[in-house]
Amino acid sequence: MRLVRKSMILLAVALVFGAIRMPFESALRGELEKSGLIPRELEVGTKQKLGQTFAAVSLGGLRTLVATFYNLRAFSEFTEQRWGDVARTFDLIVTLAPHTRYYWETGYWHQAYNAASYYINEEKLPAERRREAWRESIHAGRDFLERGIRNNPDDWSLWANKGFLLSDPNKFPAFRDQAKSFEEAAEAYRKAEATGRALPYVKRFSLYALARVPGREDEALEIARRFYNESERNHTPTLLSLLFVLEAHADASQDMEELAVRLFGTKEKAFEQLGTHWQRTRDRFPVYGVAEALQRLGKDLDIPAGENPLNQPLPPPPGPDQWFSQ
Amino acid sequence: MSQAATASASQGSHTGRILVIATHAFTQLMRMKVFYFLAIFAVIALASNFISLPQHEGPESMGSNVLSQIKSWSLGTMTLFSVVLAIVATALLLPKDIEDRTLYTVLAKPVPRFDYLAGKLLGVLMLIFVSLALMDLLMVAVLQVRTSMVLTQQQEMATALGWSQGTIDSMRAETEALGPNWSLQGAVVAVFLRSAVMAAIALMISTFSTSTLFTTIVSFLVYFIGYFQADARDVYLHSGEAGQGVLARLGSLLVSLILPDFQLFNVIDTVIQGGVLPLDVFGKLVFVGFYYTVFYTFASWFIFADKEF
Repeated sequence: MRLVRKSMILLAVALVFGAIRMPFESALRGELEKSGLIPRELEVGTKQKLGQTFAAVSLGGLRTLVATFYNLRAFSEFTEQRWGDVARTFDLIVTLAPHTRYYWETGYWHQAYNAASYYINEEKLPAERRREAWRESIHAGRDFLERGIRNNPDDWSLWANKGFLLSDPNKFPAFRDQAKSFEEAAEAYRKAEATGRALPYVKRFSLYALARVPGREDEALEIARRFYNESERNHTPTLLSLLFVLEAHADASQDMEELAVRLFGTKEKAFEQLGTHWQRTRDRFPVYGVAEALQRLGKDLDIPAGENPLNQPLPPPPGPDQWFSQ
Repeated sequence: MSQAATASASQGSHTGRILVIATHAFTQLMRMKVFYFLAIFAVIALASNFISLPQHEGPESMGSNVLSQIKSWSLGTMTLFSVVLAIVATALLLPKDIEDRTLYTVLAKPVPRFDYLAGKLLGVLMLIFVSLALMDLLMVAVLQVRTSMVLTQQQEMATALGWSQGTIDSMRAETEALGPNWSLQGAVVAVFLRSAVMAAIALMISTFSTSTLFTTIVSFLVYFIGYFQADARDVYLHSGEAGQGVLARLGSLLVSLILPDFQLFNVIDTVIQGGVLPLDVFGKLVFVGFYYTVFYTFASWFIFADKEF
């Protein structure tokens, strides 16, 4: 009887103390979730996919460890080219470790690059199905990466990867509106740069993407001039070539040969680099004034007509039409 | 416990008595050779540094992913070890004292039962603390060496590529966030706090339990359910919206009021991934851990106070 009475007293006290701490616990949990210090509850679907591992995964301190083992599984699936399994495993991995950049980058890379390339070369499937699978893989990779960005908006590398994907000549044909893709790529690079932690090439890449957006040439020119004046390190062949075409776009009446020599230093260098730029059809860079400059530079340098890039056949831009023609 | 120790325990202050009993419990547990586990931990910590798991890594990372791996393996092992030790060691204490008849000798002296229980709990906590401190030391040493290696490689690469000082500093800060820092120490304290709460719960269960096995099983169940306490609280708080039945509401209320919310200590996972544990959040976690531990210790005493042997 005494034991029952004591148990009842203890239960009552536990309830009172529990009621006192409940608002504090609830507020602290909200604060931890809001600041990203503890992950939000796993969705029911994810719990089911985790199966028996779920119990272990719920325990703090073990989630990232379990993610490490799932990453090993994903590696095996990747080597066996089981792309559906790779995607599913990475969905679980990022649920367990949502703040680990490596998992988001590897998961997106497997889908948008490895799986997409696999479908280009997979001869067992009919062309139309391969084309659709290729397109879907790239879109799935992009969706995955954007989910990573939503979870880690301050991560420069994830933003930069979005820029890479949307301005990659082998990937952007998968997106219907390519001008929009370049615009979004430029924006992604800009956001990467805005974090203040991005590597130096990222801001140049932002310009490279923006220069390809029809109608935003003036904005791109302003940025190109700023980078050019900022540091000699920015005088890369691509930046100089783009500065040339953007200047030519802004004032088509100027002397293109003089502009080229001013930017590249010598006629030989200008001829060589503008020739390369002319041949980079895959990248879809603008070519304002390049033909005129190459024509005049070639004449001045006594380049035989057959050796002038202007007179050489342009490499056909590889893309889905070529890859999935048969 | 020796006659002299028992005599001094009975004559001193509460603190003195608790410390004597705690030291005895600590020694008793050490004799069970639990520290052998540290050798396994050392192997795990070193293996996480040297074993190269098959994975893809860009050249710019210069192996910084291994830093997260070291923390992940080390803190995962610390979590498992501390919780198992907290439950099993505490579950063993009272039955062992009864079996050895030490309990009768102690309680025959004017030693308050609260002092006896608090001393036993403190002994277990001392053991967990010492173990975690040693494991922490090893983890920090391994992490420090590896972080220095990664930083040196990154510095060499950045210098060769002519990166600006600002960019180098930013990359350095990113890598250092994955290395040993105060947040990592905060995570280790969170591991300790969680096991302290678990030890207090196991102590409470052992005061009315009939066997060590029962205490261990029930404690582990409580541990697992503690991870879903927050779910139960959410069910109770939002049950009006979801149209839950009365029984479901009552059940969820009981779970959320009686059991601790162990998910609060899951900040460990964020720290492993390079996150920062703010001081105010750390303070609140310490407060919560202390609150739970003190409450369950007093609950143990309440049951144990007039228990007859």
